[in-house]
Amino acid sequence: MPDHEKPMRYHEGGNVHLDFHGATNTTIDYIIAQFGVEVMDEIFAKVGREVYADLRQHLLADDPSEIARHWEHFFGRENADFSIEATDDEIVLTVRHCTAYHHVQKLTGAVSPHFCDQTIKTNNAMAAGTPFCIDTEITGPGACRQVIRRRS
Amino acid sequence: MIPSDHFPRFYNEVFKFLATQGHAALEQYWLEISKNQERHTLELFKTRGLTGMHEYWSHIRDEENCDLDLELHDDHLELRMNVCPSLSKVLDNDAAPMGKYCDHCAGWIGPIMDKTGYHLVYDVIDRTKPQCVLRVFKDRSKAEAAEKQATLLMGWPGKRERE
Repeated sequence: MPDHEKPMRYHEGGNVHLDFHGATNTTIDYIIAQFGVEVMDEIFAKVGREVYADLRQHLLADDPSEIARHWEHFFGRENADFSIEATDDEIVLTVRHCTAYHHVQKLTGAVSPHFCDQTIKTNNAMAAGTPFCIDTEITGPGACRQVIRRRS
Repeated sequence: MIPSDHFPRFYNEVFKFLATQGHAALEQYWLEISKNQERHTLELFKTRGLTGMHEYWSHIRDEENCDLDLELHDDHLELRMNVCPSLSKVLDNDAAPMGKYCDHCAGWIGPIMDKTGYHLVYDVIDRTKPQCVLRVFKDRSKAEAAEKQATLLMGWPGKRERE
């Protein structure tokens, strides 16, 4: 079976509970206030290395497309406004309306200034030591551009 | 974005770090989550009592895809979790599960119940299996009787001090 037809390591169904993003926001502010931003960054790095070990393995095996499948599945489940474009050189995820960010904004009125670190730091950790990097650029409130490209 | 679907696996990593700081660090975090959850529950539980709790967990059952049975009685509410999606995801995980993952649930619910005047009895049964029984009583003596029947009774911040 070709890789793109195999089930993903984490493939979810049913409803989504967006309020979990509120708990993530609370957690980020709490951990940083109590223990510092370096601790929060290391927790995100562990998520990238260990929870997403399978995505990392795909990068190590020279297959960045699994992350694109992951994005398609999970941003789709949360009904985000996004698009993914793949060329020979890079895979680009453009998020125009991040459901997580805007749900937290609606719930709390105050999104943590470190909220998007969950994306930046897990992406960096997933790609570390692989032939690829994943660069995350925050382009506005609840908007970003994530690019997977081969390291030069 | 860590998808909302993957929050339990993120939560698990947070618990693993906090466990290295001692049990008090875990309890402080549960209290923070409890304050966060008050936004969704406290007024509902205070004003509508067991019916409000039934309403809340009915919503959670659907939104979090829980396999659970809810029974509303005159004197108590019983939630029987047959398959907990949260612990199931933590166990189906490339990262190692935190051994006391289940404890967070009583850790945030208990302090809210204490503010409502209701009495929580939380039987996790076995931390390695995604099932548990939560009961909430109006009457303290009935809660104490139910505690004696529990297999693995959970505590929460503040409970020990009151007893």
